[in-house]
Amino acid sequence: MIRAYRALLVAGFQNASQYRLSLFLYVFFSVLRPIIFLAAWVAVANARGGTVGSFSAADFATYYIALTVVLHLALSWNAYEFEFQVRQGRLSPLLLRPLHPIHYAVVENIVWKLFTVVALIPVLALTAVTFGVHLTAQPWHYALFVPSLLLGAALRFLFGWVVAASAFWITRVSSVSTFFDRIQFIFAGQIAPLALLPGALQTIAYALPFAYMFGVPADILRGATTFEQTLLFLVVQAAWVAATYLALQVVWRAGLREYSAVGA
Amino acid sequence: MTRYLRLLAIFFRTEVQFELAYRVNFIAELFSLVMIVATSVAAVLVLFVYTPTMNGWTLAQMLVLLGVFYIVQGIGELAFTPSFERFMEHVRMGTLDFILLKPASSQFLVSLRHFRISSVGQVALGLGVVGAGLIQIAATISLADVVSFAVALACGLVLVYTLLLVLSTLAFWFVRVENLLVVYQAFLDAARFPVDIYPGWLRVTLSTVIPIGVAVTVPAQAVAGKLEPAGLASIVAVAVAAWLFAGWFWRFGLRSYTGASA
Repeated sequence: MIRAYRALLVAGFQNASQYRLSLFLYVFFSVLRPIIFLAAWVAVANARGGTVGSFSAADFATYYIALTVVLHLALSWNAYEFEFQVRQGRLSPLLLRPLHPIHYAVVENIVWKLFTVVALIPVLALTAVTFGVHLTAQPWHYALFVPSLLLGAALRFLFGWVVAASAFWITRVSSVSTFFDRIQFIFAGQIAPLALLPGALQTIAYALPFAYMFGVPADILRGATTFEQTLLFLVVQAAWVAATYLALQVVWRAGLREYSAVGA
Repeated sequence: MTRYLRLLAIFFRTEVQFELAYRVNFIAELFSLVMIVATSVAAVLVLFVYTPTMNGWTLAQMLVLLGVFYIVQGIGELAFTPSFERFMEHVRMGTLDFILLKPASSQFLVSLRHFRISSVGQVALGLGVVGAGLIQIAATISLADVVSFAVALACGLVLVYTLLLVLSTLAFWFVRVENLLVVYQAFLDAARFPVDIYPGWLRVTLSTVIPIGVAVTVPAQAVAGKLEPAGLASIVAVAVAAWLFAGWFWRFGLRSYTGASA
């Protein structure tokens, strides 16, 4: 298994290094996006004389920088490719290989992230210089951020595969994934830090899995959580990962029985 | 001119026929659009929970701006990006030859050949959001505001088109440029808020270097009663300059095209 992963990683890196420039451009501009809501919140803070709740402009900047890091490292996008593979029957040869198709996606994600993380640095530096930062994190925040990020990435990855596996039944998954992407847009901490979601929205956010993918690790990274809260978040994250993993097992088995390839 | 309008009508009709062959997919895409617009409105409402105005924009004015954003993005998706995506494919595969041989302007053929019909739904939703904002400020709008809105919107669409044309023309030198369209998407996405909320360097970029921010902000300013005559004059000037530059750049790039077997 480890040897298979090493071989896939090497191949992935060689493949990716062909298109260095376009990869770099892609990342540079896609990480510009968090600045959009950051600028909006700073405008709101200015309209209120400097703060929204406990957030100053620098706190917003710190939050959105943390969120950019988390989004970059924890986001994965299997559903779009998987739909294509099922629709075109290209899944068939992958199923014949000794390795479960999910491992190819794992490797692809790792390669992409390692390859593009360099592009993050100038963007984050630019954001920090423009809006200022306000670091309140303790060393243990950073230490516990690592498992939180890994759990968030695993949760997003597995959740994406559950959605993608619906391709076995409906062949056009993009509407389904758009639906979940937009729910995530509201509740994962992208439009607002979780602490600023008003009333019921905040309750819903903590009841759904999306906040545990991005918003929660970002809050830990910027040092906004107490030690007890952080441990509780990690437990909830782990529970969601376990539940989603079980769901994927069920959906994948049922789906493979449904899969008929092209022409069958 | 009438010849080009006739061609446009034919292209559009074939795309409608194509789209109608996949009706369930069409409905699913409309559903996605409703979801996207609804969540964006929700995001603006969350921001306005904490303040009555953002940089001088009220909630009603901000809704008008968001609606204009979806109209501009929707027309881009409907009429421009599908053709430019295929154009990049043509350059890479060398099949652009077939287009260059046709007896019509090559710029016209690569930029207005394909349409994504479901984006009509996005334009309609954008109009709906504009309407939701306008209801609250309708009393303050004069005929002059409506005219300057129409002029500014037309200029905004010219800016979107010319940016896409310039980015696509780069394909003649760099071949693999699909990722360059991300530049367009990322900068256009920034236009969902008024340009003036952004920090200096980004505001300058969005209004001069890549003048996509003003494509949405200026029409919305016209309806919100925030547009000075000078502002309208400058977007007209920028649009004309962008149009001339993009046309020249396209012809310049075309000279570098080598075809499939060269």
